[in-house]
Amino acid sequence: MNRSSLALLAAALLIAGLAPLAFPFLQFVLTIALAKGFAALGVALLLRAGLISLGHAMFYAVGAYAAAFLAKSLGFTDMMGLIVAATIVSGLCGLLVGLFLVRYRAIFFAMLNLAVSMVVFALLSKLYGLTGGTDGMAVAVPTLFGLTLTKEGSDTVLFYLALVLAAGLGLVVHRYLKSPLGHALSAVHSNEVRLEYLGVSAASTLLTAYTISATLAGLGGAIAALSIGHVLPEFAFWTQSGQLVLTAVLGGISGIAGPFLGAAFLEGVHTLAVGTVADAWNLIVGAVLLVVIFFLPRGLFGLIEKIAGRKTQAGETEL
Amino acid sequence: MLQTLIPLFVDALASAALIFFVAVGLTLVFSVLRVLNVAHGSFYSIGAYAAASLGLWIVSAGLPDWLTFPALVLSAAFVALLFGPLVENTLVRWTYGKSDAVQVLVTFGLFLILEDLQKMVFGVQSLYQDTPMSMLGITELGGIVYLNYQLLLIVLAGVVLVALRLFIGHSRTGRLIAAVVADREVSQALGIDTNRMYTIAFTLGVFLAALGGAMATPTSGVSPGLGADTMVLAFAVAAIGGLGQVEGAAIASLIVAVAKVLAIYFAPEFDAVAPYVVMLAVLLVKPYGLFGSPTTRRI
Amino acid sequence: MRLTSITGTALAAAMVLSTTLSGTSLASAEEKPESLNVGVFTFMSGPAAAYGMPGRQGAEIMIEQINAAGGIGGVPIKASFVDEAQGAQGVISEYRRLAEAPDTDFMIAALSSGNCLALAPIADQMKMPTVGWNCDTHQLFKDGAHPYFFRPNGNTVAEFMSYVLYFLDKNPNVRRVAIINPDYSFGHDAAEIVKATLAALNPGVKVVAELYPKLGASSYQTEISRLSAARPDVIFSNLWGGDLENFVRQANPRGLFRQSQAVFALGESSMQNVEMPQGAIVGVLGDGWWRSPDAAKRGAPAFGAAYKAKFGQDPVFPAMKMANSFVVMKAAYEKAIAKNGGEWPSKDQVRDALEGLSIDTLTGHVTIRPDHDGIVDQIVGTVTKVDGIDAPVLGSMVRYSGDKVLPPAGDDPVAWISSLTPYFPKDMPKPGSYR
Repeated sequence: MNRSSLALLAAALLIAGLAPLAFPFLQFVLTIALAKGFAALGVALLLRAGLISLGHAMFYAVGAYAAAFLAKSLGFTDMMGLIVAATIVSGLCGLLVGLFLVRYRAIFFAMLNLAVSMVVFALLSKLYGLTGGTDGMAVAVPTLFGLTLTKEGSDTVLFYLALVLAAGLGLVVHRYLKSPLGHALSAVHSNEVRLEYLGVSAASTLLTAYTISATLAGLGGAIAALSIGHVLPEFAFWTQSGQLVLTAVLGGISGIAGPFLGAAFLEGVHTLAVGTVADAWNLIVGAVLLVVIFFLPRGLFGLIEKIAGRKTQAGETEL
Repeated sequence: MLQTLIPLFVDALASAALIFFVAVGLTLVFSVLRVLNVAHGSFYSIGAYAAASLGLWIVSAGLPDWLTFPALVLSAAFVALLFGPLVENTLVRWTYGKSDAVQVLVTFGLFLILEDLQKMVFGVQSLYQDTPMSMLGITELGGIVYLNYQLLLIVLAGVVLVALRLFIGHSRTGRLIAAVVADREVSQALGIDTNRMYTIAFTLGVFLAALGGAMATPTSGVSPGLGADTMVLAFAVAAIGGLGQVEGAAIASLIVAVAKVLAIYFAPEFDAVAPYVVMLAVLLVKPYGLFGSPTTRRI
Repeated sequence: MRLTSITGTALAAAMVLSTTLSGTSLASAEEKPESLNVGVFTFMSGPAAAYGMPGRQGAEIMIEQINAAGGIGGVPIKASFVDEAQGAQGVISEYRRLAEAPDTDFMIAALSSGNCLALAPIADQMKMPTVGWNCDTHQLFKDGAHPYFFRPNGNTVAEFMSYVLYFLDKNPNVRRVAIINPDYSFGHDAAEIVKATLAALNPGVKVVAELYPKLGASSYQTEISRLSAARPDVIFSNLWGGDLENFVRQANPRGLFRQSQAVFALGESSMQNVEMPQGAIVGVLGDGWWRSPDAAKRGAPAFGAAYKAKFGQDPVFPAMKMANSFVVMKAAYEKAIAKNGGEWPSKDQVRDALEGLSIDTLTGHVTIRPDHDGIVDQIVGTVTKVDGIDAPVLGSMVRYSGDKVLPPAGDDPVAWISSLTPYFPKDMPKPGSYR
């Protein structure tokens, strides 16, 4: 990571961090954008390996429901603890599901993810006594290290926490991608057979990536649950998974910032669209998606870099 | 025992018939074009809207009621001819040879666009058009009243299955398509217009989806959101049968329908889960579906 | 290098800001605003719109009428309508967005019980006075108070108990009951209440099938077979809107209602759209039947005429519930203004004014209890045709007094029902007694 990228990152963080001070209602929008950004980053990792998951919203939902369950059933309400626990739970689920799914490639991988996520979705919506069915579950305002928070206080802490996590985990994921394990991930896409001949197991490479991606999605789900204050089965619905893939591709999968940028862009457009052209929201998103795929294969992040005059596309991961 | 078994069996066949139309279209398109069309469910709901609108117009214009029967098939054909060549020639053709991710995303984008276009064109209120159902009357089986229309659907699904098999195996176009499926490059070298085959196969797929939607209208309401629900169900059925397998889709439709009906009869809380549990169970044992294999290239 | 990174930064900044900005305006709470901005949540698309749109239309008529008469304390009402069909996640986000905008004064939300359960804690968090205009779930105030959420429109316990009282009174020989309800809190709540009431009042009755199709299901054919096979004497359902219409259309030709007595708790809202089976027991939630004798003495006929003139149909009870919610809001504001010495009230003062409000509505009377539940009467009847009215109407009606069928505040609703005895119905009015 060179100096200018760092400057760009710092500037973006600063702007995002300051925006709610000027416009308080942005805080909620940006918190959700960060939450979805984590999940989209997880999806982007798999896309680098050429694998498209049409079911990743299930881990987002697992993270969200884990936070809701811990708070409701165990009376465990610490914000940090909830986020960490929910993230671990979804990571474990990712490991478990990944054990079965990393054997598959291409459309079969996509469909199996879809199938698992639909089972999760259907169970969440049907086990009324346990999950609240289609009503979902309310999530109480969390505490922080034993302190009772107001909703405003909790939202502010959550937002800056999410921002710090995005920067911190972003760097960790960046390191991971630059490590041999990360390079092996792209190699699964470009030439899996050669990778195996080199003595690297594609299955364990993918399992690592799958677990990391589920962990990130679960973290996003936990943040969303605490921010929205309610969890719902539709978090796991397949169109939500599709939206995550879309977010990743829209932002650009080659860098860490792409998925977050994509999420901020989509949430922002959504906020504007709801008041004006609510009926055409899907249409707008669909059209934007097609335009990006046809004309901007490197996503919004690629566009920014191009305008900024930095062109380092050689050897980069593409769809 | 018979009291329960007969309705169970009839219900399963009737819902299998409707699922079959959509799933077989999806699987057919995949076998020829190697593209999993995420927007396939939208053609189901557009077919339903078209059929309901045309039927309502026929009734309100005072035309004879029996015209609502051909209207079902005509509206499906209209939807197929309108969307099939257009979508295949523009969006889908662009994705040939591209990665699965791109193919899925392009058709997902199309799905999102079509969802909102339907709301704009047909509004958001439910449409009902049940003239064909009420014209056909009822039959009592095992002490339960069934609609003759439901029984007609079962027959029709069988007819479509046989017709498809005959078309692929015995018609000139069908055999050309089969050749393209078997080997694209050689077919092209032999002078087969592969692009035309793709257009025909895709349009046929759209027709089958639209036909499913149209056929469903006399016994169910048409409202937004139908496409998304149908899509995943069609996915599940196509995957269980093996992507690209026509008979597989038929058998898988039946399995899924039986699972759903059993759930409604004995464990109503699991009716929505049933198709996906079956799908998972099958795919974990046979990853490429009951009748598929990673290398098969037959339809 | 320096320059390019600045360009990039500026661009990123511009993107983040331009995409997330939306209009804000500054207004201090106690200054008399230009308009009273209300967020109104209802279903405007999907099958549920068949029930939700009358609600919206009822709101439009009320806003026109109130504004034509000078608004509330001289301030005209301005509504932002939010579609509940986008799913609870979107509904919650929209509520938060509206509530965070400084110029939003009041919320009338929501139609669906699920959405109300989700929004009530958020109303408290954001200190936004909110009236649930339709949601009836008895769970709303069960697990703790919601200081900012009020429900002046009835409660599932009172509503569904009334239906059981009515059909047991009409068909004393009922032995087998089947239930088909939508798959969310409203449907499950109703089933729990119906079962508890049957167990308390007539323990010999058996529930032979319980089905919960998902909200917005398009086909009920398998469920209809299942219901036929169960051979119930009574089929109870609180399906509503497009779902109810769909179910009735599909079940009618299959003879289901020749075999069993149908009880459609929300049937009145659909009887103009679909032909209800002969003798079906239908009614309204609460007292919102606009042709009822009490409604005729109040504002309902004028409202109904304006509604018919604008929308070409008679108002159904969701429209009345919405209209009554506006009546409640107006009364609360006027009470708060009076208490505030004529000055425009703050949100908290409006909230305080809602406490203990007891007023006449367009169709009856409502008293808000300390737990924020409203006491309203319950009307149940049977679908009938009468000379002189084109549309089907409610016949052999009964009006159960609200305080008789509502569990005392603080009691567990189901435990209260279970404490009733088979003698409980003896004091109740008979079907046909309300003319």
